[in-house]
Amino acid sequence: MRWQRRWQAFGDGAAGALVLLLIIVTVLFLVLPIGVSFILSFDDREFIGAFPPEKFSLRWYHSFWQNPGYLDGLVVSIELAVLATAISTVAGAAAAFVLAETRWRGRGSVEMLFLSPKFVPTVVIGFSMLGFASAAHVFDAFTRLAMGHVVITIPFTVRATLASLVGNRRSLGEAAISLGATPWRAFLDIDLPLARTGIIAGALMAFVLSFDEVAVSIFLTDAYTQTLPIALVAEMRANLNLTVAAVSTVFTTIAVVIVVLLDRTAGLDNVIGKGMYRG
Amino acid sequence: MSTLHGVLLAPGLLILAGLVVAPITLMAIDSFRPFVGGRIGAGAGWTLANYVELIAPAYAYYFWDTFRIGFLVSITALFLGTPLAWRAARSERRPVRVCIFGLLIGLLFMSLIAKLYAVQMTWGPTGPFAFFGALIGVPVRSPGYAEVQVFIGLLHFVLAPATLMMIGTFQNISPRLEEAAASLGAPRWRVAVDVTLPLATPGLLATFMIVFAVCISNFLVPLILGRGVVLFTTNLMYTRFADVANYPSGAAIGIIMILVAGGLMYALALLVRRLAPGETGG
Repeated sequence: MRWQRRWQAFGDGAAGALVLLLIIVTVLFLVLPIGVSFILSFDDREFIGAFPPEKFSLRWYHSFWQNPGYLDGLVVSIELAVLATAISTVAGAAAAFVLAETRWRGRGSVEMLFLSPKFVPTVVIGFSMLGFASAAHVFDAFTRLAMGHVVITIPFTVRATLASLVGNRRSLGEAAISLGATPWRAFLDIDLPLARTGIIAGALMAFVLSFDEVAVSIFLTDAYTQTLPIALVAEMRANLNLTVAAVSTVFTTIAVVIVVLLDRTAGLDNVIGKGMYRG
Repeated sequence: MSTLHGVLLAPGLLILAGLVVAPITLMAIDSFRPFVGGRIGAGAGWTLANYVELIAPAYAYYFWDTFRIGFLVSITALFLGTPLAWRAARSERRPVRVCIFGLLIGLLFMSLIAKLYAVQMTWGPTGPFAFFGALIGVPVRSPGYAEVQVFIGLLHFVLAPATLMMIGTFQNISPRLEEAAASLGAPRWRVAVDVTLPLATPGLLATFMIVFAVCISNFLVPLILGRGVVLFTTNLMYTRFADVANYPSGAAIGIIMILVAGGLMYALALLVRRLAPGETGG
């Protein structure tokens, strides 16, 4: 019996070591490239040389600030993300209220319709939007882009608001109405505050999604209206240049800030525990 | 349905009808129109030519490449993500959980362009991992390495969301079942293989299908890391429009991609319905 127990302890140890090894490999696979790009963004060389760099400087950050193409793109991207997020948050959250609160025939299909842009490949959305805009005589690139970005972000605002509306909130609204509140009053004073976290989470996802969008935008931009991601992709395809590393480092920093804020406000345990990102 | 409900639902419905249903219907119609050179849109009359030409080996190859690479990436993402997800779901220590959750959520919020650039700088010709190509017999400057880079880029992109989905799966399996098996004398690896894995199978399958759908509809990864050697159907669709301005052909590819994505989601729904009763709520 004793050798059997020893074998078992050995087996457990080996299995545990294998799992630990896989975890380490996975984490390194995810983190190392970001570290490499971070270090390269401070490279002093004019060209992309072998890693690691010998001298460091901020030249690529300066080069970003001195490139009007990037700065114009940044402005367009921010304007576009703000507009698309505002529209899809208002329209998506309002629709989610109705979907969460009411039961009627066809409700399931309407919910499917609201989530459907998530299942259509984004390239197809961009492609079809281009044909549609051309048929509808919409030739302004910013308008076209806004149309595309609202479509890709709306499933996320609907989904996040729906997720925050589960539980007993319907009975709370009904209680307010039975106590004499009008449906509008109940909606503004009871339903809206209760769904706040979901609406904010949805808006945050919509903004990030819109700001980083390429597959839809590539069809809808023109020579005068470019988003920052489209300008970066063009740069990456033409001549690889470390300015993109500088921008990447800024993007990474923003992602880190979002995570820290999420942990401080909602707590990462709660964010995951609620299953907000599932599906 | 009251007036309030109607007012609240209307803006969203208008957006969906006007900006999703209408454009895709128009695209479906255009996919049956003949190609006339030199304009956005399509000619008059009806034809199946846009679909028939996709059966030609030259085009079928793009579909094959897309599915093949997407499948390999999805399998690898599940293999690498499972231990991390299991650890995050089971860990009693808050710092461990917060570190893993923070990393995964941070990656979710991080720009895909930044990730792809990082992959290119790390695994590309000048990167510290350039030796990897020689190690697996595909030199880093050979055309074949484009596929390796697309694989790495896609894997980096889907690994974080895949792991997050699997954390949910493991959280929904009661740890008591594992404890029971262990208290009856089963070694840890047998608990994992005989208890945890079978209970997690529906969740892992669902994750696989979603990750696969995300992979095959990706556009940016092959565009940047494929170096023109590896093209997915999404890139083919863009090329049909951007290089040869063949809108009807692009439309036909788009319809096929919608059907494939829809088929995958339908299969996923069936799978969940069939396997869900066996799942243990946590």
